[in-house]
Amino acid sequence: MACAACHTVFPELTPFGREFKLNGYVLDNIKQIKGITTENRETLSLNAVPPVSVMLQISYTHTGKALPDSAVSGALAKDGDVLFPQQASIFYAGKIADNFGAFIQLTYDGVGDSFGFDNADIRYARHFSFGGTTDADKHDVVVGVTVNDGPTVQDVWNTTIAWGFPFSSSSVAPTPIASAALDGGIGQSAAGIGVYAWIDDSIYAEFSLYGAALRGGTHPLDSQQSSVVHGASPYWRFAYERRWDRNSLSVGTYGIVAKLHPGGGLPLQGPTDQFTDVAGDLQYQFIGEDHLFTVLATYIHENQKLDASFLSTAAQNPSDTLKTLKLAGEYSYQRTIGGSLGLFDTTGSTDAARYPASDPADPTAVAVAYQGSASNKPDSRGYVAEVNYLPWLNTKLQLQYVRYSKFNGGSNNYDGFGRNASDNDTLYLLGWINF
Amino acid sequence: MKLNRMIASIASAAVYIGGVAWGAAEVPVANDSPLGRTVQTCGTCHGTNGRSVSPTFPNLAAQTAPYIEAQLKAFKDQTRADPDAQAYMWGMAAQLSDAQISELADYFSKQPAPAGGKSGGPAAIARGKQVFEEGVPARQIPPCASCHGAHGEGLATFPRLAGQHAPYLLKQILVIQNALRNAPVMHGIVKDLSRDQMQAVVAYLESM
Repeated sequence: MACAACHTVFPELTPFGREFKLNGYVLDNIKQIKGITTENRETLSLNAVPPVSVMLQISYTHTGKALPDSAVSGALAKDGDVLFPQQASIFYAGKIADNFGAFIQLTYDGVGDSFGFDNADIRYARHFSFGGTTDADKHDVVVGVTVNDGPTVQDVWNTTIAWGFPFSSSSVAPTPIASAALDGGIGQSAAGIGVYAWIDDSIYAEFSLYGAALRGGTHPLDSQQSSVVHGASPYWRFAYERRWDRNSLSVGTYGIVAKLHPGGGLPLQGPTDQFTDVAGDLQYQFIGEDHLFTVLATYIHENQKLDASFLSTAAQNPSDTLKTLKLAGEYSYQRTIGGSLGLFDTTGSTDAARYPASDPADPTAVAVAYQGSASNKPDSRGYVAEVNYLPWLNTKLQLQYVRYSKFNGGSNNYDGFGRNASDNDTLYLLGWINF
Repeated sequence: MKLNRMIASIASAAVYIGGVAWGAAEVPVANDSPLGRTVQTCGTCHGTNGRSVSPTFPNLAAQTAPYIEAQLKAFKDQTRADPDAQAYMWGMAAQLSDAQISELADYFSKQPAPAGGKSGGPAAIARGKQVFEEGVPARQIPPCASCHGAHGEGLATFPRLAGQHAPYLLKQILVIQNALRNAPVMHGIVKDLSRDQMQAVVAYLESM
C-alpha cells in the first residue's frame, strides 16, 4: 500500500492508519507462510515478506546564540550543528499471527551514538458485534490488548506526545526545563499493558497500567536511577471520533496518576512524588484530493504532590502545578508542499528547588546555566513554524523555526547569566527519508 | 515460543472474556470465517456493509457482482492502474484468490444499497438527469442510462452508479478521460464530456 493510505503527511495518521493500528497492525494482503496441525488448527501465519522499513533523519541546527562550551569556561560551542544522521531507525509494523501484530522501532541516535529500543507497541485485537436485531444495525467493536513502552505510544491520534506536533525537532537545541509526566516526563522509562475498545469506528475507551521499565543503567533498579515509577500507574484514554465526507473530528481526554521515586542517589523507598495529569485533546482532519488540513490541540493540567522531593529539598513546595497547552494547524497541497504553525505555552508554580538557577561559583554549573531559571519558574511560550516539501511521498525536506517569547520563566536574561529566550530560537533543517 | 504462546493465550482469553462480559457475540461473518476476515479488511475503508464514509472509497453495497469481480481481478493483475488503484487496491487485492474474489463480489452485491438522496443543488441535478437520460447528442455522447440502467442500478459488468459518492464518480470519469484507467469503451464515451457536465451528472447520480 502507498504511504497515503495510512498517512496524510507522515507520521500523521489518516482514519485508515488509525484503523490499521487499532486492528493490531494486521490489515494486510501479503503472501503468508502458514503452519497447521493435523486437526487443521493454525499454528503459524507469517508474512512471507516482512513489513520492515528504514527511516533516516539528517539535520542541521542553528540557535539564536551559541551555547557555552561544555568544558572551557567562557568559550562558546560551535553554532551550526550537522547530525548525519540525527536518527536512523528500523521498523517492523505488521502481523505476527492472526489478530496479533506489532509496531517496533529500533533507533540509532546520532547524539548518543547508540543503537537502542525506541517506540514499541504489540497488540492483539478482535472484532465483536453486539446489539441490534439485523446485521445492519449491529454495533461493531474492536477489543484489544496493547503492550507498549510508554504512555501515548499506543495512541492513534496525533495530539499526544509520542506522535504529536512537532513531528521532529532538533536533538541538540535547548528545550524548556519543565514537561508534564504525559508530555515526555515519563517517556519511554515505563512499560505498560492496556485493554481498549473501539466501538462503531467512533468511541474509544482504554485503560492501561504502567510500571518502571528503565533501559540500561543499574539493574535491578536502585538509587542510581532517577524518576522510577512506583508500582503501577493507571492511564486512561477516552475519545469520540466522528467521520463525515472527507472530514474527521475527534475530542478526547487522557490522563495518568504516576507515583515516581526521584532516585538520583535517593533509595527507591519511602514517600514518592505523585503526578496527576488530566488532559483534553481535539483533532480535526480534512483529507481532500488536493488540499489537506489538520488542527491539533491538547491541554494537560498536572498536579504534582511532591512528598519525596519536598522531604529531600529537591522541591521548595509540597505541591506544584504545571499547565501545558499546544495548538497546531497544518496544511498540505497534494501531500507535496505544506506548512504548519504550532503554538506552545507552559505555565506552572514557582519553585526554587525544582527550577533552580545555576550557581555562579560552580564552573560546571555555569556551562549549563542556560538550562536554569533565574525566576524559578517553568514558564515557556512560543511558536513553531514549518515549511515542508515532499518531492516523493517518502521523502520530507523540512525547514523549521522555533521562536521562544519566554523560556524557563523569562524573556530577557532568563537564566541570570545574560541569556535571553530568543537566544534559544532554533532554525532546524531536516531531511527525513523512509523506505 | 512457549512464552509467546502463553502471552497469546492470555491476551486471547482477556479479549474473549471482555467481549462476552460486554454481552457481545463474535460477528459470524466478520472474523472466524475466512470470508469474514476478508470482509473486515475491505470494510475498514468501504464499510463492512459496503457503505463507505469517505468519498475517496466507493460504496460497494448493491454493486453488481460481475463488476466487483472484474475490478478486483483488474487490481490484482494491475490492469486497472488509476492513481488510487495503485495506491490502495494493488496491495489489497494482490493475494486474493479467484474464489475469494467471487465470494466478496457476492457478499457486497447483496448488501442493501446506499441511501442516496444526497442533494448536490437542484439545478445541477436537473442538468445531470438530462445527461444521464438523454446523453449529449451534440457531442455524440450516448445516455448513461442505456448501459448503466434507467435508475443507475447497473447491469452485469456495467457498474451501479446510483447513490455513489459524487467525488468518487467525478474522479473516475476524469481518470477514464485521461486514459489513466483502462476502460476503452467508456473512454470513447466520456472523452468530450465537459467538466460542468461531469459535475452535473455525478450530482444527479449521488442523489439517486
